[in-house]
Amino acid sequence: MSSERLGLQLGLLFFLLIAILFVLGSGITLDLGTARRLGPGAFPMIVGVIMIALVVVELLRNHAAPAEWRSPDWRSLFAVSAGVAAFAFFTPLVGVLPAVAISVLATSSANKGVRWTVRGAMAVCIAIGVWVIFVEALQMPFELIRGL
Amino acid sequence: MDLITNLGIGFATAATPYNLVHCFAGVFLGTFIGVLPGVGPLAAVAMLLPVTFYLPPETALVMLAGVYYGAEYGGSIASILLNIPGTPSASVTCLDGYPLAQKGRAGVALFITAMASFFGGVFGVVVMALLSPVLAEFALSFGPAEYFSVMVLGLIAASVVSNSGVLRGVIMVCAGILLGTVGVDVNSGETRFTGGIQELRDGVSLVVVAMGLFGISEVIVSVRGATQSYATTKISMRDFFPTGAEWIRSIAPAVRGSVVGSFFGTLPGTGQTVASFVGYALEKRISKNGENFGKGAIEGVVVPESANNAAAQTAFIPTLTLGIPGSTTMALMLGALMIHGITPGPRLITEHPELFWGLIVSFLFGNLFLLVLNIPLIGLWVRLLRIPHLYLYPAVVILICVGVYSIDNSVFDIWITLLFGMLGYVMRLYRFEPAPLLIGFVLGPMMEEFFRRTMLLSRGDPLVFLERPGSAALLIAAALLLAWALLPKGTIKRLLLPQKDI
Repeated sequence: MSSERLGLQLGLLFFLLIAILFVLGSGITLDLGTARRLGPGAFPMIVGVIMIALVVVELLRNHAAPAEWRSPDWRSLFAVSAGVAAFAFFTPLVGVLPAVAISVLATSSANKGVRWTVRGAMAVCIAIGVWVIFVEALQMPFELIRGL
Repeated sequence: MDLITNLGIGFATAATPYNLVHCFAGVFLGTFIGVLPGVGPLAAVAMLLPVTFYLPPETALVMLAGVYYGAEYGGSIASILLNIPGTPSASVTCLDGYPLAQKGRAGVALFITAMASFFGGVFGVVVMALLSPVLAEFALSFGPAEYFSVMVLGLIAASVVSNSGVLRGVIMVCAGILLGTVGVDVNSGETRFTGGIQELRDGVSLVVVAMGLFGISEVIVSVRGATQSYATTKISMRDFFPTGAEWIRSIAPAVRGSVVGSFFGTLPGTGQTVASFVGYALEKRISKNGENFGKGAIEGVVVPESANNAAAQTAFIPTLTLGIPGSTTMALMLGALMIHGITPGPRLITEHPELFWGLIVSFLFGNLFLLVLNIPLIGLWVRLLRIPHLYLYPAVVILICVGVYSIDNSVFDIWITLLFGMLGYVMRLYRFEPAPLLIGFVLGPMMEEFFRRTMLLSRGDPLVFLERPGSAALLIAAALLLAWALLPKGTIKRLLLPQKDI
């Protein structure tokens, strides 16, 4: 299988791996029970086996007539992921509002050529928006700024 | 008459100021989010789901339903003005809506959309009020085997309509079911597939999966799509009203669209997209104005919009009476009900009449709000579309993050959302659709429960699924549907009628 071919099948191989993990997990760590009293492992095992069979069929079909796949937009993927990760990482450290601002700065790097002043203004505006909507209006119990 | 008493109960629930305010808020926020290109009703419902956790169940559902059809309408606005459908079902509206806008008649198209949606919506609500009790009565005779089989049918139907092919659809359904098994098994109390992570003991949260697969991944796809704004159309109030002839020409198509929509909405898995496409194709064939379809025919906007909104309403029928969601958005609604401790099923109507009938009546109010809200506010939505996306999407990301965080102030959920966001993006690249996965995820735990109960009752004999007539009929229907979708066209015909062409 050439590397290009492998790239086309990668999506299916990923789901094959997931299904195999579930089947192995239910077979090894869980009780399958009896046909009458099915254990916790039985249903995931059955679904996993069906899924493996279907993925194999689709792999063969896809090998004969490969489906297209689009190449990823790395910049968008990275910027948006960084934005979400920034929120998750900074919220426990500094509180919700600063985390929101950092997250906005990260996400807005998806588009080239946005000036830092604009991004800063967006960060401040959105943080204020979160404070007004979620804390003042909806009364969510957030720690706004840590240590305050 | 029963119906009138029931509607009375419904009015008593829905017409409280508290519920009306939430219904209005839902419709407004839904339209607001739905207008953003690329962010569909599903993402809108997912984003606002955490907010409704704090509300009483009927208010929560009323608000979410408002969000749902508000977002549908918002999607139509984006279709007409920008030719960017916010939702798959709105893509049909693009066909004639956008040419109308180019002719300088965007105002008329938007007005007609609001009217047709209203008409279709009300039609769907009436069908729902009449049909649901009948179906629920019938479903009371269902045992666990029938429930399991009807879910199989629903899941197969959901995979058949997926754009990426049936086989991939079923693979996604299986992946969703497996994902649903993560956490503590209710029957044995054993922990499954958590990898020792404490936070996963209760399973992966529905909101997290939906926000990741649909919200985050949509943003990744759309964030770079627009550095400049598109909408330049100027609309004044005077341009709104269609001519008298156009009014009259729209009546019959609105009725036909609503009938088609109501039918397809009730089928599990097919939903609005199919309803709008079939309605449009049918109308094109029978309309006297057929040759103008695609060039800005009024009927070409009326039919898909009325069909799509009628289907949006009747999709609640299987969701509420059988507990089987007709679409991914319905799967979320179902999840919302279960979070509030209400199990949808045939007993819902008798056990929670205030909820069921309140919801029906609130749909009427919601459709009315949609009409009242949208005609004066079209100017606002147009202005929103003029804002370049690069300012909007960071706010959407924050809305998702804060929404997930607010479920129980846990950062862990945000990391999982990110994981599903990346997964959703990669799935898009490889032409896997996230929708069947989500339906599988919601139905999976119920299917397992019914499967295990059936096996217990039958003393371990799996043939019981084929011996009980109801269950057998449903499974055969599922198998036929699958065969029809998988086999090359004409195969079934040749198998069934081998001598016909001699």
